[in-house]
Amino acid sequence: MLKFLEAAPRLRHLFNWLIIVGSALLCLLILPARLPGTELMGIRPNWLLIWVVVWSVKRTVWQGALAGIALGLIQDGMTAINVPTVPDQTIFTLSDETKVVVDIALSYPSHIISLTIVGVLTARIQKQRYIQEDFISIALIVFGMAVIAETVTAVQYSLQGFRNPALVWTEHQRIALSSAILSSLWAPVVYYPLNRWWEYLNSKEQTS
Amino acid sequence: MFTVRRWWERYGSQFILIGIVLGVALFIRQTQGALIFELYAHAIRPFQTGPPPDEKWREGEVERLEGQLTALEKQNEELKKLLDYKEEQQLESISARIIGRSVDHWWQQIILDQGSNEGVKEGYVVTSPGGLVGRVIKVTPHTSRVLLISDPTSRVGAKLSRNNYMGYIRGGTKGTATMVFYEKVPNVKKGDQVVTSPASQLFPPGIHIGVVESVHLQQNPAPEVEIKLTAPIEFLEWVTIHPHTTKY
Repeated sequence: MLKFLEAAPRLRHLFNWLIIVGSALLCLLILPARLPGTELMGIRPNWLLIWVVVWSVKRTVWQGALAGIALGLIQDGMTAINVPTVPDQTIFTLSDETKVVVDIALSYPSHIISLTIVGVLTARIQKQRYIQEDFISIALIVFGMAVIAETVTAVQYSLQGFRNPALVWTEHQRIALSSAILSSLWAPVVYYPLNRWWEYLNSKEQTS
Repeated sequence: MFTVRRWWERYGSQFILIGIVLGVALFIRQTQGALIFELYAHAIRPFQTGPPPDEKWREGEVERLEGQLTALEKQNEELKKLLDYKEEQQLESISARIIGRSVDHWWQQIILDQGSNEGVKEGYVVTSPGGLVGRVIKVTPHTSRVLLISDPTSRVGAKLSRNNYMGYIRGGTKGTATMVFYEKVPNVKKGDQVVTSPASQLFPPGIHIGVVESVHLQQNPAPEVEIKLTAPIEFLEWVTIHPHTTKY
């Protein structure tokens, strides 16, 4: 299989980067799509979170954090609102509507925080001691991380105060549970091919 | 010097790679993911076929027209009193297909397949057969991103078409929204039609939004009512983009 990769380590490295970037890009491209079978009560799996977990699970804390920051930045960009929106309460006198137009982009909760926490925590888990490397454990980690990530977002919303905190937390229950279930179910789809490739790469590295 | 070079030889390439990764991520953040949405639009192009589903539109369209009629009758009455009525210039609207939904559950956005190449600009207003849908917040050459009125951060200036009580609508969850009134005791009852208000700076006046579903007049600091949005946002496949210049 893949004879040309066996011969040249440099090519192998290049190929590795292509696979890393390609798989992350694929996850980004799936995000806005509504694939049949991936929806539960209007919620879809959190593909970026799955990717970060799969990446961090056999890597160092720093590598996990880096993946979290990079993908968090990208997802922030994909959800940002730069056109001003008229905020709450303050528009009671209609003519003042103009004055209170604000830039929401800054106050929005960031994905960087949640994804970085996920990357770091996943890398920190003492997998060799507590959990075995298989689909079930990956699914479990993704489940836990999805709950943590949504909680981080909800906390950011509560602190920011633009939304009604009570509504945020009822919304959080709905989103966190569905997203955790779906993400953990779909995690193997990302984990299996990437893990196979990285194991193959490792074995090559050790023999050469 | 020697140690620096040793360090660079060992970690230099890693250092550069980390720089590149963060640089690319930051670039995508700054351009608000324009690159990815462009790529997405091209990637899913082969999977899109077929004309807009006409029959499904009709039911919502009838409901919207009923609401519009009430608003227009009221407006007509007022216009008769005004002699210096000027007709607003109508620009051509653009119909667009919804090719994606928001990339995170906390955000209520949709992605359309028409962009700046077809003349869409930020701030343009998006409607569907049921009524108001949202507002364009980001445009790339082939896509545009719309903030739905059901997003909790969205605010729409609104009024009751029956008696002109003013307020604003903020998004809720699952196709409902909350209307907050400026008056302390507004004359409002279940079934009242809600349209965008002439005081709104982000939307043109008189676009149908929804129907009052339940009334909570005891809310502090201002009375609130629940609105059922008439545009079936969850099930939409096609929408119309209307040119609109934001007034601020």
